[in-house]
Amino acid sequence: MSNKRLYRGASIASEDSPKLTRADVLVEGDRIIGVAAKIEKAEGAEVIDCSGRILMPAMFDIHVHAREPGQEEKENIATCAEAAINGGVTGFVMMPNTAPAIDNAGVVRGVLESARRTRIGAGIYTTGAITKGRNGEELASIAGMKAAGAVMLTDDGFPVDNPQVLRRAMEYARDFDLPLASHCEVKELSGKGAMHEGSVSYALGLHGIPSISEEICIARDIRLAEYTGVHLNIQHVTTALGMETIKRAKDRGIRVTCEIAPHHLIFNHEDIGSYDTHYKMNPPLRTKEDNAALLQGLIDGWFDVIATDHAPHTEFEKNQDFASAPFGITGLETALPSLYDYFISKGIFGWDVIVKRYSAEPRRIFKLPPVPIVEGGAAEFIVFNPERSTRFDRDFMKSKSVNTPFLDKELKGMVERVVYLREELLSR
Amino acid sequence: MKPRKDLLDIQSLTDEEIEFVLENAVPFKDLFRRSVKKVPTLKGRTMLTLFYEPSTRTRSSFEVAASRLSADVTHFDVESSSVVKGESVLDTVETLEAMRVDYIVVRHKQAGIPNLIAKNTAASVINAGDGWHAHPTQALLDGFTLREVFKDLRGARCLIAGDIQHSRVARSTSLLLRRLGMNVAYLAPGSLMPREIPREIPQFGNWTDALEWKPDVVYLLRVQSERLDEPFFPSAAEYHKNYGLTDARVQILRERGIYLMHPGPVNRGVEITDKGMDYEKSLINQQVENGIAVRMSVLYWLRPGAQGGES
Repeated sequence: MSNKRLYRGASIASEDSPKLTRADVLVEGDRIIGVAAKIEKAEGAEVIDCSGRILMPAMFDIHVHAREPGQEEKENIATCAEAAINGGVTGFVMMPNTAPAIDNAGVVRGVLESARRTRIGAGIYTTGAITKGRNGEELASIAGMKAAGAVMLTDDGFPVDNPQVLRRAMEYARDFDLPLASHCEVKELSGKGAMHEGSVSYALGLHGIPSISEEICIARDIRLAEYTGVHLNIQHVTTALGMETIKRAKDRGIRVTCEIAPHHLIFNHEDIGSYDTHYKMNPPLRTKEDNAALLQGLIDGWFDVIATDHAPHTEFEKNQDFASAPFGITGLETALPSLYDYFISKGIFGWDVIVKRYSAEPRRIFKLPPVPIVEGGAAEFIVFNPERSTRFDRDFMKSKSVNTPFLDKELKGMVERVVYLREELLSR
Repeated sequence: MKPRKDLLDIQSLTDEEIEFVLENAVPFKDLFRRSVKKVPTLKGRTMLTLFYEPSTRTRSSFEVAASRLSADVTHFDVESSSVVKGESVLDTVETLEAMRVDYIVVRHKQAGIPNLIAKNTAASVINAGDGWHAHPTQALLDGFTLREVFKDLRGARCLIAGDIQHSRVARSTSLLLRRLGMNVAYLAPGSLMPREIPREIPQFGNWTDALEWKPDVVYLLRVQSERLDEPFFPSAAEYHKNYGLTDARVQILRERGIYLMHPGPVNRGVEITDKGMDYEKSLINQQVENGIAVRMSVLYWLRPGAQGGES
């Protein structure tokens, strides 16, 4: 079998321009050996018709809950990797809120070994917890985790309540050259909150999580980052004011990056309707006004990365009353079609936003090389067909869990092929 | 009017449905004057009460209502000792489904539990209070009671005073009274006043301003004992002095001919005093009596097995 493949007649997306470039792309082995308007001679190459399709660098998600070890009823690293491939994502970073937590070198090595056995082994990375057991008290063995391969520190799911503990962690993380990611929330203000505090939480009679819970913690953590010099990554920003706080910090030269999740652009608290737990996550869906402000922020470049916060939970767990159901929705499989359907297809932003924010910049945060579609580059891209559509039913999705608002719904566009070095991991 | 399976909240009711329930409660109430207070309307039907929160009054009211319609009444004992979570609720519903009861009356401390149950059973689900969310039969009986007092509710003014933030009664009753054309205002300490309520509802932080709004009815809410443990206000005494219906305020109500309502049970010395309980324009006992008539009307109206009960 030939190891040459010619992707003919594609439109190439890049992070530099919203304009797509028509080109043929020739792949040999694990490299792109030619990108040109017309590649005539490609002897022995398998020719793949890509007319009407978009080729874009494969995506990289820095916020994923693979649920291993200990919560394999929701997901494991193998199913999570398949879900990622299904969505056109060939690399991701795992969160440490597992059971036990990923808070020492042994667990780091364990999850990375599991990751190596998947089809995108080299693309899967892990964070390590900031504190032992993610309980916010004692620092986890940061140097040991770094040596074992952890690429970032976070207690994701919880903030580090005690600012002195966080300050020490930041000083340590800075010296070991690890970014520190913050789940920003003042727990006392969130209380038993299950959704955004506002008109809808009032009407539904649910405890609310006020925006100030997130905004105050963002301001605190940025101030600590400035003081310590750590690279701070603010996870899943949901409020306009929180975003503006981060922007001001960036303008002052503080080392801060931030994430936006697709669901916080697309949905708001009104979508919860009659207690639909597929719209329950933390931080919660906020208001229409926040949707608009965050979207503009993404377009204007205030967000460094798009990250899904892929958070699988079983149907049994989600089929409870709203307050009792766990926080979180899956995202790896739906991210690109949802962003295409809601935004790109309507001309709200271009492909460059996706390439930059969901492929190139996420890799740069970890000093990994981006994978642009250029001659000599690594063959790590996807073929996306904007003319087809994808129905997210149980058969289609590869994640163990189906807790997504898009369950049994259809979105425009389909990830048809995922090219990963020497292989096509997906072709349909 | 389309047949409806469940009564979960006030929002999802049509005007026609509200009228139907309120109008049919009139003949049911007339029954109470007879020596035989029973009609055979629901003979052969079974109503089950499923109360995860104790409430003797509401449960008894439903049970008397069902008995007077000749339905069989049973109570599903929920162990109050165990922590009751959503999943065990669904397990219970599966059991009830197998028993083929026709009506399930639910009370639970979590908002949305009746919605969850309604989705998983063919029986008619009646929400008898879920957390802070809704208490639709209370709202309907309040509307019915006020209609007995005022011929036309349009333009009449009801001041709801107390823990607005945590009150399902405030939510449901406000919605219903406004649907019937009344004006509603709230009086509460800032810590118990929700941040986002409809703009048409005036909010007051003290009795002086609230009474200047010239209410026709003052509807007092119960101060839940658990509020006293959290820092919503400094003490019961301070609450009473600033937000309760003190004896001096009862006198103002009397002078101005203002009616008084309360969903019960009352906390004497907190939101109300002994004198307030004896106030001649109190509608509290009338509310209790009407509760039975309105719940009979609700049972008569709902159709177990009907489609589209979920709001």
